[in-house]
Amino acid sequence: MNEQPLIEVKNLKKSFEIKKGFLGQKKYLRAVDGISFAIRKGETFSLVGESGCGKSTTGRLVTRLLQPTEGEVWFEGSRISDLPESRMRPLRKHMQMVFQDPYASLNPRMKVKDLVAEPLLIHTKLTPGERDKLAHELLETVGLSSMHAERFPHEFSGGQRQRIGIARALSVRPSLIVADEPVSALDVSIQSQVLNLLQDLQEEYGLTYLFISHDLSVVEHISDRIGVMYLGSLVETADKDTLYDRPLHPYTQALLSSVPIPDPSLKRERIILTGDLPSPVNPPTGCRFHTRCPSCMEVCKTATPVFREVEPGHEVACHLYDEAVMGGK
Amino acid sequence: MAQHLLEVQGLKTEFKRGGGRIMAVSGVDFHIKKGEVLGLVGESGCGKSVTSLSIMRLLKDTPGRIAGGSVRFEGTDLTTLGDTEMRRIRGNDMAMIFQEPMTSLNPVLRIGKQLEEPIRIHLGYGRKQAREHAIHMLRLVGIPRAEEVIHDYPHQLSGGMRQRVMIAMAMSCSPKLLIADEPTTALDVTIQAQILDLMKRLKEEQDMGMLLITHDLGVVAELCDRVVVMYAGRVVEEAPVRELFADPQHPYTKGLIQSVPKLRHKVRRLDSIKGNVPDLSQMPAGCKFAPRCQFAMEQCHVQEPELVAVNGRSDRSSRCFLTQEPQVEGGGEG
Repeated sequence: MNEQPLIEVKNLKKSFEIKKGFLGQKKYLRAVDGISFAIRKGETFSLVGESGCGKSTTGRLVTRLLQPTEGEVWFEGSRISDLPESRMRPLRKHMQMVFQDPYASLNPRMKVKDLVAEPLLIHTKLTPGERDKLAHELLETVGLSSMHAERFPHEFSGGQRQRIGIARALSVRPSLIVADEPVSALDVSIQSQVLNLLQDLQEEYGLTYLFISHDLSVVEHISDRIGVMYLGSLVETADKDTLYDRPLHPYTQALLSSVPIPDPSLKRERIILTGDLPSPVNPPTGCRFHTRCPSCMEVCKTATPVFREVEPGHEVACHLYDEAVMGGK
Repeated sequence: MAQHLLEVQGLKTEFKRGGGRIMAVSGVDFHIKKGEVLGLVGESGCGKSVTSLSIMRLLKDTPGRIAGGSVRFEGTDLTTLGDTEMRRIRGNDMAMIFQEPMTSLNPVLRIGKQLEEPIRIHLGYGRKQAREHAIHMLRLVGIPRAEEVIHDYPHQLSGGMRQRVMIAMAMSCSPKLLIADEPTTALDVTIQAQILDLMKRLKEEQDMGMLLITHDLGVVAELCDRVVVMYAGRVVEEAPVRELFADPQHPYTKGLIQSVPKLRHKVRRLDSIKGNVPDLSQMPAGCKFAPRCQFAMEQCHVQEPELVAVNGRSDRSSRCFLTQEPQVEGGGEG
């Protein structure tokens, strides 16, 4: 890979302080605990995992809505993880976010055209007339009509609201869009409309997506490469076909086999994990997955597996593949 | 024909809104046999949850009321029962689990107390016996350390554990019918797999009928024997589960199945249904799906099609003019 990635994340960590206990002792919740990945221009990279795995926190760290505790974020070859807010702000127009809940992320007192044009007000020197014109165009781009411009968010359905959110993100012509569960709150028939829209826009504007989702079927559909997270760590990354055809990490395997498939004629072996997710405040020692892993070995309980490449473009953090790496060398 | 466990006929439920009334469920028919899982599928606002609340007669605290039709449970029409009689059936013969277990458990009562209450009321058990039964139920749904969990409060348990407690509670009086409204929607996939597996096992062991309400076609394929698809307060299609997926009849069912991204099915673009679900207060005339339907004909915008058996079969029906017309291609046989 000699091409410079658009986004590169190196050993990124984020802890949240929580007060607990009788004397208000400080405890730390390690939401993201040392992850590294890179996203190429024009690519869709997805982070997938269950609730509390740190995928949303990662999205917010990349766009610097949260300040990393440790580690680096590089955007187009420059390190942005320690930039002061004043220098970060102009960069924000290159990276926009689309959120899960289109009800909560749009100001209910603003007209749709103002919502869509708001980023333009902050990041450009366009006149009100120009902003208005652009807002109308953007609404058409995302499949609404300029008729909708004068209305308020409550007059729209969930799918339409998500389109407004996308138009808003698109307004400043970003190169990266971080989409955090953008279709999870939508009905299936609407979900497919929005997924198609995201793909069309990517093609038209050469967008790069960091797509965050818990839905493995949606992720497979939209992604080029995928990273699987568990309790704040990446356990596996690979391109889409490799990951779904030959998942290596036992967690990825279990996750894939858990997805209910809408085909009643299909009978398959399912790996059912026992137990619940451990608390990220007090994560298990060694491999964090060892408490639920069907192939857990002695070494997994004490030693943290290293995240490394086991074949070109396929990285995994699991002791099962320690020898494969040694043998390959 | 043997008596069905549950028979819903022409069920209508209306809600007061503003000055007027809107019909959330407009004439729904289906039945459930003993030991059978019927899936009730549709998107938000199609009336599937209102249907289940109507069956359980749980509309009291809402602006809604049953406006017509009947709900027969083992031959008894539930819509005519008094509150006391209904309370005896609820929990005893019919039980319900909801999507969000946190809001359906009492946060200030210990798990044990909540589990024992229906057992003591419906089965007439004493304190000690009820406790034993509660622990037995928790073990049955796969909760480890059941003797200890019984002393916990709901907030001390994870989402998956709380849903297990809800299932244990619903199953504690061995109901003949379990109504499950989106039972796994709030759960993570690995936990969902555990719960689906549990429900499948319990259904087989207890020979219980189940009404599973969900928007997730994957869950339907996994658990159901037959499926009823709802749109805008109406049943638009009914079929055995394999046939529904292999050969859907109604354009809405087809659209729904094609909208879902499927694992290892490589498609460049997803098929989608254009437009949005119509507002209940501004229903189109004619077929309610016509404005979104790619096959809509002139007739569809004027007249609403009836729910009619497909090829004369008793277990397949569709509410669409296209499936009712004499099949042109198939004409050779007749």
